[in-house]
Amino acid sequence: MSVEVSRRKFLQGSVALSVAGASAISATNLFSSENASEHKSTNSRIPSTITTKTSTAKAEHVPFLCGICVNKCAGLARVEDGIITKLDPNPYFPKNRNMLCPRGNAGIQTLYDPDRLKYPMVRIGERGDGKYKRVSWDEAYEAILNGTDKFKGIKQILDEEKDNRATIGYCNGEGLSKEGFEVLVGEKIGSPNYVDEVSICLETTLGGYVNTIGTYGEADLTNADYLIIAGANRAEAIITPDTMDMFKRSKGRGLKTIVLDPRFTNTAVKADRWYAINPGTDLAFVLALTYVTIKEELYDKAFVAKHVEGFDEYKQHILSHNYTPEWAAKLTNISAKEITKTAREFMAARSPIYYQGRRSVFSKNDFQLRRAMAIFQGLSGNLDKKGGIVYGQKLQLPKEDVNAPIYGQAQARFDKDGIAIPSLKTGSWIVFRNMVLEGKNPYPLRAMFMRKHNPMAGVPNTKKTEAFLKKMDLNVMIDILPSDTTMYADVILPEASYLERTSPVASYGGMEPAIVQRKAAIKPLYETKTPEVIYKELAEKLSKPLWENTLKYDEDVQDDTEGMSKAEIEQYYKENGFDLAEPWEKPVHEQNEERITKAYGKKAWEILDEKGVYYPHMEEYHTQLNPNEFEYYPENKKHYSTQGDKLKVKCNLSNLTKKGVDAMPAWHDDMEFSVPAGQFRLVTGRHAQFTQSGTTNNAMLRDLIPTNYIWINNQVCEKMGIKFADKVEVKSPIGKVTIMAYPTNKIAPNQIFMLHGFGGSSEKMELAYGNGANDALLIEDKIEPVYGAAVMHDTNVEIRKV
Amino acid sequence: MARYGMALDYKNCINCKACEVACKEENGVELGAEKHRIWVGGNNPEGAWPLLDMASASFLPSQCQQCDDAPCQEVCPTHATYYDENGVVRVDADKCILCSYCMNACPYDARYVDERTMTVDKCTFCSDTRLARGETTTACQNTCPTKVRTFGDLDDPESEISELLRTRDHFSLKAHLGTKPKLFYLT
Repeated sequence: MSVEVSRRKFLQGSVALSVAGASAISATNLFSSENASEHKSTNSRIPSTITTKTSTAKAEHVPFLCGICVNKCAGLARVEDGIITKLDPNPYFPKNRNMLCPRGNAGIQTLYDPDRLKYPMVRIGERGDGKYKRVSWDEAYEAILNGTDKFKGIKQILDEEKDNRATIGYCNGEGLSKEGFEVLVGEKIGSPNYVDEVSICLETTLGGYVNTIGTYGEADLTNADYLIIAGANRAEAIITPDTMDMFKRSKGRGLKTIVLDPRFTNTAVKADRWYAINPGTDLAFVLALTYVTIKEELYDKAFVAKHVEGFDEYKQHILSHNYTPEWAAKLTNISAKEITKTAREFMAARSPIYYQGRRSVFSKNDFQLRRAMAIFQGLSGNLDKKGGIVYGQKLQLPKEDVNAPIYGQAQARFDKDGIAIPSLKTGSWIVFRNMVLEGKNPYPLRAMFMRKHNPMAGVPNTKKTEAFLKKMDLNVMIDILPSDTTMYADVILPEASYLERTSPVASYGGMEPAIVQRKAAIKPLYETKTPEVIYKELAEKLSKPLWENTLKYDEDVQDDTEGMSKAEIEQYYKENGFDLAEPWEKPVHEQNEERITKAYGKKAWEILDEKGVYYPHMEEYHTQLNPNEFEYYPENKKHYSTQGDKLKVKCNLSNLTKKGVDAMPAWHDDMEFSVPAGQFRLVTGRHAQFTQSGTTNNAMLRDLIPTNYIWINNQVCEKMGIKFADKVEVKSPIGKVTIMAYPTNKIAPNQIFMLHGFGGSSEKMELAYGNGANDALLIEDKIEPVYGAAVMHDTNVEIRKV
Repeated sequence: MARYGMALDYKNCINCKACEVACKEENGVELGAEKHRIWVGGNNPEGAWPLLDMASASFLPSQCQQCDDAPCQEVCPTHATYYDENGVVRVDADKCILCSYCMNACPYDARYVDERTMTVDKCTFCSDTRLARGETTTACQNTCPTKVRTFGDLDDPESEISELLRTRDHFSLKAHLGTKPKLFYLT
């Protein structure tokens, strides 16, 4: 239609990109505008159209917590005749400040995704071929316990391994029901081999900050007046409340904003200055800022004398290494003049913040980078106070004790190769997986219990993840969509989505702490069940049969129970926690009521249950400021300063030296950024309309960003004859993908960028399958040395037009 | 009776498109890149990496400007496009014959064809959804992360929008065309 073409003229910039993208892929995409408005379902609980106009009739408004990403924004689900027609922000939660992002708004499309897992399934084909049989829940649990003709059950595996519970590994991505899964597989079933999203996410950020200033903290961006935001992209990787607070005051309106990023991001659009820093050289930048600050004595002397430990050694360290702006300029691609200016401005500002960031690990020096950033923040004295990095407070929730059995035959976790500080609870995905693949595990790892996690897309080197999953005797997956990883499961248990379940209450700390409850807006669709019901039923199924294994092999238990009557053994089994289902005796909603009533009283529970949010004096404090904004706590009740004399900034962690880690942040020559001629450094990242691979099948979001592109510098494209939407083969040392090109001036000539989370391999996800490219097929599986976290921006690639 | 308008603190906009999604979900707008009532326009920076002109990169949320003197209403041969009692430019689906005069006349390119109702559709300020239920915000305003939008009655001197327009400088898009938009961009 000609009129639509004229309309496109208005859709410039990134919008034009998505429009052009939509037309470029329409030939191969099964999704087209002709049927885009329909759901082909005969189920009366599924809306007949993809978007449903809200009516003027009466509706319920159920408080929920968003589950589309990790932020947990609070919202209200509008329910009309059992169908959710709209998700609105919940104005009571200080964290999301009365807003929902595009993904939060599009959560309805994940709920009603036609590709959802609808009933339990058991594999009848080969792993990865997508051949499954629909079964009853009991048949699915039975298959986990006793296997089928295609795979072994957990009972037999544990029998063969003589009740070594460590033969089971498990993984779970972030979420409110994750802790329950840890209780089930970790504490109750007894597996120590746990991996989650942390080692492919922000482990070094948390570790660096906590070890240096005792917290990751919260940046008070409402009151800060100077911001350095490096390698963080809050306009596109939305974090609440940071994103909202930051951009209301950028661009000459009170928050001077300095952005460092190899790419010109949407955050850079909002900056006062943008520095196109070389990937992986932020540490040199911070060390040089620190050099200027110390050399020119710009730091807060009173604060440093009182709170900064090891300052004299650090001063000596920085000065003697000559971390000058001139030195850093060569490494970072930022001039010495600009570095000096930034250091001076930062230290002269009233409330400067070097933003902590919250992202996966980009370079091997990330732990030290975070340490250097935290110390630099400390030198300004802008810690634990209004406008600074704030420690805040948390509303405590009563702890639930788990009666965890002790398995004498269970061995310890093993994934420690090459790691200085192995985590106690969750391990390194890459080290864990690779040790199993290379046969370095001291005992066999034979089963993976997985939930809400997609390592095929999230962990670098997809081929290795595939081989790892194929090596298992038994893979179990609890999820809502048939993800790339789900296709390697032997038993699939379909979970209710976040809008169909009441979740355990959660407490969010900070300047304005609050407790929140996610309440089921509708009953679970199809045959799905809530995670806690699944945990309970699976535990009931496994409990006694696995106990028989323990009785058979565990000498401690044999000694304890020797000569006992049947009834006495039953009592022993219960008292010592071998009854696996015991934590889920009561439904979640009832447990929430008990916990909140116990800690804060009946009235608090009533408020929480009705409004979805509770904090002391909420009804008194919560006031509307204007049609858009609310005040959650009065100014004098916000928890800006909570640390007092406890506040410490630790420059020198000498005990790290024993583990081969620098005690103070230092630069090493091998950290230098270099790319061989003819190659490109691959950088990846996020977009405001996507949450990794979890939303790639969401019809609404797919409508906005139909696919991912490879960003290539426009001048390079001219030389190589590459035009917009041309197909380009990208080849790294571990794999290759084909992806469409986006020539742009927003990236350096020796780098390329692609959005993470695309290129799905699961044929069961119609919109995600084969659309764009999966960066995990390209990123080499390298780790940083402190925690073994995956390093995402250390891979060079070659590209050619195909 | 009111005279509805909207003020946009557009410098807050981060091009996240929450407004577009909220609008589609609230009003049951079709999917499809061309089928939106509101959108965010943007300019890429000029220059060659790394010397990019920062000032040339920006985001501009846009939609029907709810003109007081709307060219789309003027050209409509069947009077399908009309002003409702609150000054909102609306479309009567029964009268629309899809002649597309309005689409050509609109200087803001704010109209599109709804393939299901076969109507040239547009922003209604949520008149038949949220406002009809007595709510006081539009879907796009309510969800916006950085609170770009303030909707309200321009005839009510006490309204937030009246206060904003009194105290902040603002401009209209293509003011030289004399369409008298009721969308105001705050500077």
